[in-house]
Amino acid sequence: MEQRWLSKKTFEIKLRRPEAFNFKPGQRISLKYKNLERDYSLASSPDEAHLTLCIRYVAGGLLSQALGDAEIGTGLSFYGPHGYFTIKPSQRPTVLVASGTGIAPFRSMVRSGAAPEFILHGVETSADLYYAEELAPASGKYIPCLSQSGDSQTYFEGRVTDYLRRHLPSQNYDFYLCGRREMIRDVTLLVDELFEGSFIYTEAFY
Amino acid sequence: MKIYTATGDRGKTSLFSGERVSKASDRIEAYGDLDELNSTIGALIAHLPSDRSDLSDELQRIQADIFMISAWLATTANSPAVDSLEPIEERQIVFLENAIDRLEDLLPDLKNFILPGGHISAAWAHAARSVCRRAERHTVLVLESSGDDEPAEQLKRALIYLNRLSDYLFVLARECNRLHGLSDILWKKS
Repeated sequence: MEQRWLSKKTFEIKLRRPEAFNFKPGQRISLKYKNLERDYSLASSPDEAHLTLCIRYVAGGLLSQALGDAEIGTGLSFYGPHGYFTIKPSQRPTVLVASGTGIAPFRSMVRSGAAPEFILHGVETSADLYYAEELAPASGKYIPCLSQSGDSQTYFEGRVTDYLRRHLPSQNYDFYLCGRREMIRDVTLLVDELFEGSFIYTEAFY
Repeated sequence: MKIYTATGDRGKTSLFSGERVSKASDRIEAYGDLDELNSTIGALIAHLPSDRSDLSDELQRIQADIFMISAWLATTANSPAVDSLEPIEERQIVFLENAIDRLEDLLPDLKNFILPGGHISAAWAHAARSVCRRAERHTVLVLESSGDDEPAEQLKRALIYLNRLSDYLFVLARECNRLHGLSDILWKKS
């Protein structure tokens, strides 16, 4: 494996993809290292030679810290894939909503040809918009939602729920929510309130 | 993956196929019954004699089938989520029928109604049987408001499965008593 730091708190790791290993964009794997195990969504597309994971470095977070500090070339084992968090064909427009590294499965979907109408990415600062260049051209609208932008001309300042409440046209959508469970709860309750009849698929990270 | 997201705090929940529905809807009642059935079977397994891993294996296989039926109940018509689900197959029903035949061969003929009870494992098997009947009734309710679609086809098969499973749990209750040297408790007019 090898790491690449995307921001102060986030890094990617790349694993050699075993020949017989297949997955669907949006699925996750269980990674094992030093007797620790955790599920991570794949951020690469199934056509790529490597498997990419996008990991939030948590000081004191046992596995993320060990992986962030691991030597390049360290052998890791994993099993999977798991999960049903995959894009379903639909007549309704697709809205992808991520917080932090919850963007990982959406990157996999976009790299595999998905063209969602909206991608919302809730992060702290613009330094955390590591996949912006890739995601912006692939979607109708890529909307970074920053809690501390310092530049409200360029970025939407506020939470993803603030954006949805103020700007998302009223109709039915397919919402895909990935990341912090508080975000998933808040968006789900907002959808119940303002976008009733929409469909929701979720993957809670932390 | 985290266990709780608190998205159901206001009485709604998400189906596997993505819709938000009331927790009081027929579908949720039906797969809630299956959840209860699985828990009850778990209690039954916990009371089986330790040397009967064959029976606990059989019951765990049934618990896995019940999980699958729950997923079909959580999936509406025309949903692409259907592609992620395993069909309910004839062989799973045949598995139950063979198990019923095997157990019945061990038991004396029954000429009377019996009262649920006896050994604690038999009592749990009866409890599971009656929860299974309730799951079956709620599945009928879901089917009555369904059209001719793939999930409905699977639920029709699930009904056969649940009907057979109730019979299986009935003979298993009797077998649990027999294993512990207890007779059926026959119903007598009071």
